[in-house]
Amino acid sequence: MSAPDITEITIPDTVEELLGVEEASPDVPWVVLVWNDPVNTFAYVIFVFQKLFGYSREKASRLTNQVHFEGKAVVASGSREKCEADVARLHSFGLWATMQKDD
Amino acid sequence: MARRTFKRTRNGTLAVTLYPQEVELLAMTARDMMTIVEEPPAGEVRDRLYPRAYLDPTEEKAQGEYDALVHDDLVEARRAAFGVIVTGLDGAVPNRRGLIEIELAPAEEMQWLTAVNDARLVVGTALGVAEDMDTDFEPDDPRFEYGVLYSWLTQLHFELVTVLLDEIGEAGSDDPGAEPSPRP
Repeated sequence: MSAPDITEITIPDTVEELLGVEEASPDVPWVVLVWNDPVNTFAYVIFVFQKLFGYSREKASRLTNQVHFEGKAVVASGSREKCEADVARLHSFGLWATMQKDD
Repeated sequence: MARRTFKRTRNGTLAVTLYPQEVELLAMTARDMMTIVEEPPAGEVRDRLYPRAYLDPTEEKAQGEYDALVHDDLVEARRAAFGVIVTGLDGAVPNRRGLIEIELAPAEEMQWLTAVNDARLVVGTALGVAEDMDTDFEPDDPRFEYGVLYSWLTQLHFELVTVLLDEIGEAGSDDPGAEPSPRP
């Protein structure tokens, strides 16, 4: 990383800008959730988690149990772009997935 | 009769063995689904096939961008997957035992897996399937035929998942500390 050009530096107008809230938002971690539904089977959901995320059978089973018994589970996390890609892959396998900021 | 619907062959392909009546039912369902995934009835079926990525209503812009990026490809992938089933079964003739046997190319395995599950999502959602609900309706019930179809699709899907889950093994690729699964 090169040193900042001093002529490019501007004084922030607002606290948010000073704290870099706007700039930082793409880096805020996002989480991918999978929700329980009555059609997808345990075995299939376990397979999808192993196939898409490379999880072990133990981890995929634990997450699937959590989806079923608690209604939802966080199955992946990362940048907004990464999470959108994960959600799209889960949707293509017919799982009910959503994403949100990790508050 | 011990018939395995999905079986890994010695040359590594996945063989699918079906009765002629099953082929007829599956091909008909797949043809119908090619239309339904493209223009699903508004409401639960559409919401189930194409759920929102963002639940947060303030993320409407991001949701719009997600749909613009993903939706058409997802529709096309689903149509193509059902198309693979239709094409694969089209013109297949029964063997001497009266069974129809086809072999899937490697890429077609996931298409069969997701397509049969998508059909379950559509039929199950339309039937209002709930947790642990029995879909064996009485013959005079208007849901009878779709209940039979749903049960059969579920059994077919279960047999395919069982083979693939066995093959993917216990170990994960994300945690190096995990025990490697024994190779057969």
